[in-house]
Amino acid sequence: MNEIKTTNQVKEITIWASGVVQDAEARDTANCIAAAAAQEGKHVQSFDNYVDLPDRVNVPVRKYARISSEEIQEKYLYENDHPNIVVLVEPALIKGFNILRGMPKGGILVLNTDRNPEELLKFLPNKNLLSAIATIDASKATETIVDDFMDIEGASAKELGRGIGAVLAGAVAKVSGDFTLESLKKVVQNKDAAEKGYRNVKIKKL
Amino acid sequence: MSKPKIPKDKQLPEGGIVDSPKTEQEQMTTGGWRILRSIINEEECTQCRECWILCPDAAISIDKKGNMKINLKYCKGCGICAANCPVGAISRVPELDFDEVTIYRDLPY
Repeated sequence: MNEIKTTNQVKEITIWASGVVQDAEARDTANCIAAAAAQEGKHVQSFDNYVDLPDRVNVPVRKYARISSEEIQEKYLYENDHPNIVVLVEPALIKGFNILRGMPKGGILVLNTDRNPEELLKFLPNKNLLSAIATIDASKATETIVDDFMDIEGASAKELGRGIGAVLAGAVAKVSGDFTLESLKKVVQNKDAAEKGYRNVKIKKL
Repeated sequence: MSKPKIPKDKQLPEGGIVDSPKTEQEQMTTGGWRILRSIINEEECTQCRECWILCPDAAISIDKKGNMKINLKYCKGCGICAANCPVGAISRVPELDFDEVTIYRDLPY
């Protein structure tokens, strides 16, 4: 793979999930983050790439978002080669794949689990790249059922942030500080879920 | 008539080709997908081989004693074995409860 160096201003966010089952949740998280940052006048992108799209149940899929204060030049790059923030909708993927691949030093990892951040660090061989690890029990914070194959969460602006996506975006807002909770609440449907994600996230600074 | 010779740089690259099946197929490891790990209780197991037949990844093998063994490098945790076990000898435990890493890949594909 040709590595193209991205400009420093662009914050890259990669969201990992299990295919089909959590596809809508991951897409929703990426779109919520991008829409919230756009509320603050930032340049944003959010997309998935075709590599992941021949979608089988539980295959690892990735969704991407980018935030920048300047115009984003990398319009035709369909993968985040240097993610600053990695979000795992399914925490078990931490064991199977190098989720921090290409991350510059000082990155952030957010996981959707009820476990403590400390006990998940042992699965990361490259944990020195992280500046913070955070966990949030997003499934508990909303009533949305995860195993919903018919969900259209995050597919349009009206369906943004109805469940797990809003919680995870709220957690990212707290840990990274790239956008505020107020601007996130303006775009999501389930404002209570975004608030819970912001308040209940467990952060461990490294 | 001899075949026209196509220069190397004009040829199409081979795509989507994997080697013929062996005991293991390195290009098709799906162990990293697993959310819940299947554990076989050997005391309850009647060695009926239902799980061995039904496993979609053929990740279950039979050892010399006749016990079922799951190859965790390829088990994607679909749970078909646990759902079809007639005596309920297979339980499913969250993957994060186990410390050891069965497969770790740089890229998912």
